[in-house]
Amino acid sequence: MKIKVCGLKYSKNIKELVQLPIDYAGFIFYPKSPRYVGEEFNAAIPALFPKSTRKVGVFVNEELNVLLAKGEKYKLDAIQLHGGESAEYCQKVKEAGFEVIKAFQMNDNFQFESLNEYEDVCDFFLFDTKTENYGGSGRKFNWEILENYKGSIPFFLSGGIGAQDAEQIKQLSHDKLYALDLNSGFELQPAKKNADQLEIFLNKLELNTMNKDKYAVDERGYYGEFGGAYIPELLRKNVDELQENYLKILASEQFKKDYARLLDNYVGRPTPLTKAGNLSKRYGTNIYLKREDLTHTGAHKINNTIGQILLAKYMGKKRIIAETGAGQHGVATATVCALFGLECIVYMGALDVERQAPNVARMKMLGAKVVPAISGNQTLKDATNEAIRDWIANPESFYLIGSVVGPHPYPDLVTRLQSIISEEIREQLEKETGNPNPNYVIACVGGGSNAAGAFYHYLNEKNVNLVAVEASGLGVESGETAATITIGDIGFIHGSKTMLMQDDDGQITEPYSISAGLDYPGVGPLHAHLAVSGRAQFLSATDEEALNAAKVLAESEGIIPALESAHALAVLEKMQFQKDDVVVLNLSGRGDKDMETYMKKFN
Amino acid sequence: MNRIDQLFQNKQKDILSIYFPSGYPKLEDTLPTLQLLQDKGIDLVEIGIPFSDPLADGPVIQTAAKQALDNGMTLQLLFDQLKDARKSITMPLILMGYWNTVYKFGVDAFLAECQKVGIDGVILPDLPLEEYQEEYKAKFETAGVHNVLLVTPQTTDKRLVTIEKAASGFLYMVSTASTTGGALQASKEREDYFKKIAALDIPSLIGFGIHDKASFQHAASFSNGAIIGTAFIKALEKGNTVEFLESLQ
Repeated sequence: MKIKVCGLKYSKNIKELVQLPIDYAGFIFYPKSPRYVGEEFNAAIPALFPKSTRKVGVFVNEELNVLLAKGEKYKLDAIQLHGGESAEYCQKVKEAGFEVIKAFQMNDNFQFESLNEYEDVCDFFLFDTKTENYGGSGRKFNWEILENYKGSIPFFLSGGIGAQDAEQIKQLSHDKLYALDLNSGFELQPAKKNADQLEIFLNKLELNTMNKDKYAVDERGYYGEFGGAYIPELLRKNVDELQENYLKILASEQFKKDYARLLDNYVGRPTPLTKAGNLSKRYGTNIYLKREDLTHTGAHKINNTIGQILLAKYMGKKRIIAETGAGQHGVATATVCALFGLECIVYMGALDVERQAPNVARMKMLGAKVVPAISGNQTLKDATNEAIRDWIANPESFYLIGSVVGPHPYPDLVTRLQSIISEEIREQLEKETGNPNPNYVIACVGGGSNAAGAFYHYLNEKNVNLVAVEASGLGVESGETAATITIGDIGFIHGSKTMLMQDDDGQITEPYSISAGLDYPGVGPLHAHLAVSGRAQFLSATDEEALNAAKVLAESEGIIPALESAHALAVLEKMQFQKDDVVVLNLSGRGDKDMETYMKKFN
Repeated sequence: MNRIDQLFQNKQKDILSIYFPSGYPKLEDTLPTLQLLQDKGIDLVEIGIPFSDPLADGPVIQTAAKQALDNGMTLQLLFDQLKDARKSITMPLILMGYWNTVYKFGVDAFLAECQKVGIDGVILPDLPLEEYQEEYKAKFETAGVHNVLLVTPQTTDKRLVTIEKAASGFLYMVSTASTTGGALQASKEREDYFKKIAALDIPSLIGFGIHDKASFQHAASFSNGAIIGTAFIKALEKGNTVEFLESLQ
């Protein structure tokens, strides 16, 4: 059930409310209402709410052009029509791009058939108590008559709802009941809401956990306290440009079509969800592997590079910059740049260039220029610094980041592009087991892009346990580790506020893991939030444990995993599962690139 | 009165500012370098807080910062080194560094130390304006420490209005789209940008790419003065600071 709080006006009051799970914020533009926002209402006030809260303007028999102008000025998402507006009028408002909520006044004799003509031109109905003055009575109507409503349009329940009604509301079972409209029942004075009382009421309804998408990014790029865009002014315009465009482009039909086509025909999606029979037997449960190892270029990284290269193309960019650690993201970027005929510059720590010669050769064969980063410790962190410095010096370029890190909007952008993983898991699991939700989703985390993609569609499914596995290298206590969540604390890296490995002086320390893809001193801000809020469980696996897990998978299932994915596999040993549990493990990449390491260990 | 404000009140043209990293080339060089700069008539000094990941800096400053860190430089040590600086140093002093080190130190503790040793301003390029205004502005103002903001050729007119309103001390006008230590190419476009910023109500100094007397004079002709960083660090490295500073006169 969604929550609308209506009759708002004061910025100070709104600031007390923004923490609550409010889905719709209502502003009354009807001059005769005691909650009328007034002639001089400041357009910045509705914007105090996060983007996830939809802004509703309430009008009564207003002239259409006046209504549309206000809708634009105050950036309203929805228009609530509270007078005797015709279906034709509703249609015009809808055509102007607003969500339409049409209010009707209920009494015991209300004829729901009269709503039929509004069905096609409204998104929602709102049922309010009948009064002489277009609502605002503070009285409830007889909710039993709602049983007579058999229409298809979801509705808001309005009229005099107060703190004492929580229990009765929980009993309501109408399948079209979409939202509660709260107003005078929670006021200190007209248009001034009692935030404490609202919070208690919403807690009673258990909406805090049910309703609000607590794990979505807010308008300024924060997941809880993590994220943001901590960048020098030199990058501001580039980042602003991306922030302004990414959601629009990702939502466009053209993008969706191109992205889906490339994922199908070029990347090779959907990737299979393989029931690992022998592994299941070994651990006494039901283990499914999401086979990102079977994508073109051999890892999930390409889901992201395909999406970002399209974004770059739509933004008219000609030169692509990327960073890479082990070279997987570099190869995935070089691949899509070749496909789209764009110039590609990949920064790679000088040390990694030496360690990962085959991937350097791949990138070069694909036409990319590989620039060794010679600053700092000459690994991924430094390659990222160099890529960002290049972007500062070449603001017309597109920075194609490889994980859910960096300044907003990158963490959200990459998460959305990787979310195809959990989208497919849901469908495939439902087909396989009849239930789209597993008991566990397990994924490894360096920056965290494959985990973000595997978790995304389960973030609000609280019965799905999310398990993130960091690389603890030689052990979390050894000083040679990359287990950021375990040993790190709050800091700022690559433009993002997140958990970070650093010394007491705030210097970022060098991580260690046998797996180059997990060798990052930070973690995406979404994961920092998931860890701190307790939504995801963070475990770790050592080099040794990962190597052994890789061997187990190879021998039991005939699949050689990437060393990164092997860290996720390693925690199967440490966890306790029930016989009936369904466990999905994201096999983020294949192990060809790690053969040298494996051979050293096992031959 | 804040020494930065005093400086701009007394002098409107040809203000010469020097940046150098603390603890470089030797750990104990911070104070002697400050004394030298004052003796050579430098108007304003920015002291770098070394950071492991200086995103906005080019190779020379990166290398110098790394050297300082290897020497054992820390923010706490910098405050310790500056403890008695105000006995002899009268120039306005600015600390320049990255947000992570200040945040980790603790913003309140940082400002308290700034007040104690006589720091007049800070430049924190990666602290976003919005976060600064919402969470920290009041504290900086109470401590009497200016948060000097950057503008760049990419800064839009709309954002410039916001920055001008929020600015304190002076504006650090980044000459060109690059990290520190690049070369400054003269162009009509660049001059228009300089003039636009100079026309604002707040004083401004031009930095990035200023490396000798000629480029200083050129930049200073469009603003209240200019900042030299990388070129001075090269002189520190070579040990010819006196000659370099004299060549600017």
